[in-house]
Amino acid sequence: MIRFILLRAMWGVLVIMSVVTVVFFLIFVAGDPAVTVLGPQARAEQIADFKAKKGLDQPVPAQFLSYLGVMPCVRKDSPKYERDDGSRGFCGILQGDLGESYSHHESVAAVIGHRLPRTLLLASLAVLFELIIGLSAGVIAALRRNRWSDTLIMFATFVGISLPTYVTGPISLLLFAFLLGWFPFGGYGVDPLDHLYHALLPSLILAVAGAATYARVMRGELIETLRHDHVRTAKAKGMPMSRVVIKHAIRNALLPIVTLIGLSLPFLVGGAIITEKIFAWPGLGLLTIESIESLDAPVIMAVVLMFGVAVQMGNLLADIAVAALDPRIRLED
Amino acid sequence: MRSTPRTERRRPTRWMTGAAALIAAALLLGWVIANFPRAPIGPRYVGAGHQTPRAGGTFIFAAGSNIHTLDPHFAYDTLSTAACRLLYDGLLDYDYDGNMIPGLAAELPKMSDGGRSFRFTLRNGIKFHNGREITAEDISWSLHRLLSERIGSPGYPFFKSIQGAPAYHRGEADRVEGIVVLDEKTIEFHLDEADQTFLNALAMPFSYPLAKEHVEKLEQAEGRDAVGRHPVGSGPFTFSRWERGVQVEFERFEEYWAPQARPDRMIFLENISSDVASARFRNGDLDVVYRPSKVTRLFLRASEAWAPYRAESPSASVFALGLNCELPPFDDVHVRRAVAFALDRSKLERLDPGQVIAATQILPPMLAPHDPELPTRQGFDLERAKEEMRLAGFPDGLIEPVTLWVRGEGEVRAAQLFQQDLKAIGIEIELKMVSFATYLKETGRPRVAQAAFTGWHQDFPDPSNFMDILFHSRSIHPENSENRSFYRNPKLDAILDRARPEIDREARLALYAQANAILADEAPWAFLYYPIDMFAWQPYVKGFRPHPVWLNEYRNVWLDLPRERVSQSIYEQETGP
Repeated sequence: MIRFILLRAMWGVLVIMSVVTVVFFLIFVAGDPAVTVLGPQARAEQIADFKAKKGLDQPVPAQFLSYLGVMPCVRKDSPKYERDDGSRGFCGILQGDLGESYSHHESVAAVIGHRLPRTLLLASLAVLFELIIGLSAGVIAALRRNRWSDTLIMFATFVGISLPTYVTGPISLLLFAFLLGWFPFGGYGVDPLDHLYHALLPSLILAVAGAATYARVMRGELIETLRHDHVRTAKAKGMPMSRVVIKHAIRNALLPIVTLIGLSLPFLVGGAIITEKIFAWPGLGLLTIESIESLDAPVIMAVVLMFGVAVQMGNLLADIAVAALDPRIRLED
Repeated sequence: MRSTPRTERRRPTRWMTGAAALIAAALLLGWVIANFPRAPIGPRYVGAGHQTPRAGGTFIFAAGSNIHTLDPHFAYDTLSTAACRLLYDGLLDYDYDGNMIPGLAAELPKMSDGGRSFRFTLRNGIKFHNGREITAEDISWSLHRLLSERIGSPGYPFFKSIQGAPAYHRGEADRVEGIVVLDEKTIEFHLDEADQTFLNALAMPFSYPLAKEHVEKLEQAEGRDAVGRHPVGSGPFTFSRWERGVQVEFERFEEYWAPQARPDRMIFLENISSDVASARFRNGDLDVVYRPSKVTRLFLRASEAWAPYRAESPSASVFALGLNCELPPFDDVHVRRAVAFALDRSKLERLDPGQVIAATQILPPMLAPHDPELPTRQGFDLERAKEEMRLAGFPDGLIEPVTLWVRGEGEVRAAQLFQQDLKAIGIEIELKMVSFATYLKETGRPRVAQAAFTGWHQDFPDPSNFMDILFHSRSIHPENSENRSFYRNPKLDAILDRARPEIDREARLALYAQANAILADEAPWAFLYYPIDMFAWQPYVKGFRPHPVWLNEYRNVWLDLPRERVSQSIYEQETGP
């Protein structure tokens, strides 16, 4: 098991490294970060100053190695550029330095630090809604198979999977926030309770597709499990139906759901880009859009790095959780 | 066999239940539709009816993206500028007609040495938010911070005409020679050469003074970027808190030198898209909306109820087709003129009603010496366009198509409108859509883009800010040219070089009028339109109007509170059936 985890982690690091490399060079293919950050009004002189300050006047490979932290720092405005003894310091990701944002006048760590908790709040609420709505709908549909409630739920899940958030988002805003006034009209709010209130509608919208998927998977698995011998035995022993379902059937049916949750973690962070934009939720998704538009290279790199880590962690955690839940599965390389 | 009669007996019951359910659903739907809330058609709230300005209340406004910094030495985008306008004050400012007025300075500066020296005297009783009185030394210290290499402010090029500024910026000198503090209240600036736009530079947020002791303490404790998070200025509002990416909050500064009834608090919301902002505004949750979404804009324009509470004002920008004067076919002035005469700009006005005004010259309408009757002004005239094509030697049009660079969907739509116009004079246009990043990089290099959708927004209200930077041959570089049409005209260069230092305002404007006429005639740009910005505010918001320079200027706002909710039916009676 430990061997498996270590090996997977190594592969993960390798994958993340290649993604980071590709994205770093892609940024410079897309355009000139200095020119883009300073915008169409910039003077040639401002651009030259900015490039010198950020080390953008150095060859791209040198910048990359310095970003990794295996070559001395090229960013003149970094506090680590010059050591006390006059030699050049290192300021790369190996030293835990993500650099300074080009447009935010703050360290990338600080920028991400503001945004990450907000996205996590949205994502965890969304997972919660997905599970509550998806699982209960799935169980109801399975127990009332081929009756009208089952048909209705399956129709609803079909609609839920088909509708993208850029359709459901604006419609829900128009209906529940603007016309009915039940929810705040986008934004983040000012205190913790307010944040929660503001997060309700976007997280529900974010949860629609996931809940629909879970409901379908849960229904299928549960119907399958209810046919198994051990369930029939339990019923034959005279156990009440509710206990049979909860104790024997659902637990077995949960396995694929756990895998799905693990795989959906990075998707929730990434999928939140559109939802955050629609609901004016100032999290990582909005930050991603902005930093790509302005070619804020240090922020783009940090976000890519984080998504990479999230994908790898999600997959690994899903594998471990499934192994823990199902004694038949052993993790081996 | 026995089951058959049973099902037969059951069938009508099932059928009836279904029908009943259907009817119930239809009734419910009908009820919902009948009782469905409708969007407000007029303002939800009106003021209490006070005639004289009153203090108090919270004023809330919003913007579509992030405020990047509250450090004025880095404020180079509209949102940071808008926030800094509340927190800081400069030596000079602009009134609502765009005229320069004294701010922290007691009066406009005394000029000497043929326009190369400016002496400022500070007002009495101007204080930083920490209570300390502002002295000439503070002005000097702040400018030194701005110009230093260590800070790397994008504001440097605007101030490099100060004697010794370039040496100081390169780290070769300890002080800027040309900044001289004479006494506590007097400061003098000496320039390398006479330059009237130096005063415009001093009115930019870049020159707003910071409190030295505050900045040094913060920078030591939290690093260089800390000032932008805990600003101490001298403006009408003090900093209260900033939830990054969400909102900045301000409080009224009680010791401000120009006392006035103002809101107790101001909240500047970030990252509120125009759709969300528009809906919130109509709900009464936002006090003012700037550039509302298209639907809301059309609604506000058509609404009688909103008419007293909205304004449409041209922004100090111009959009155009930039024609590369180094590359054929636009190296021929006749072809450029032909393009300028062939474009039917009224199509744009029809496409986006109330959004644009057809452009005739480089200077936008509010900026002198804009001249609506300019003899060489550009405009749609097909016969003249064809005549110019004949003069260029292409009576039957060009053989090869021209590539036009555009940056995104909005511009593609506008460019497509003009494709037909140019086809009429025999110029085929191929659109090349590129990312903003690629566009900026490539159009700044000589001999790359034949033609490009382009534009400019003023840094400060002076004609030099449009002409020198965009069309002087000095602005051509191997990379990142500001002069993206690569237009060279020694005559124009000479006029611009004479105009910049000219002290006499009338003589100066006359020179720029000449330059303006040349640019319209020689057409390095085929001017398209000047954009119009829409503002709308709640009836209880008083003292607001769009500012020609600052646009989002909320310093003089007061709130007529308590506001009162009114029934939407009053608007229905007003407009009638």
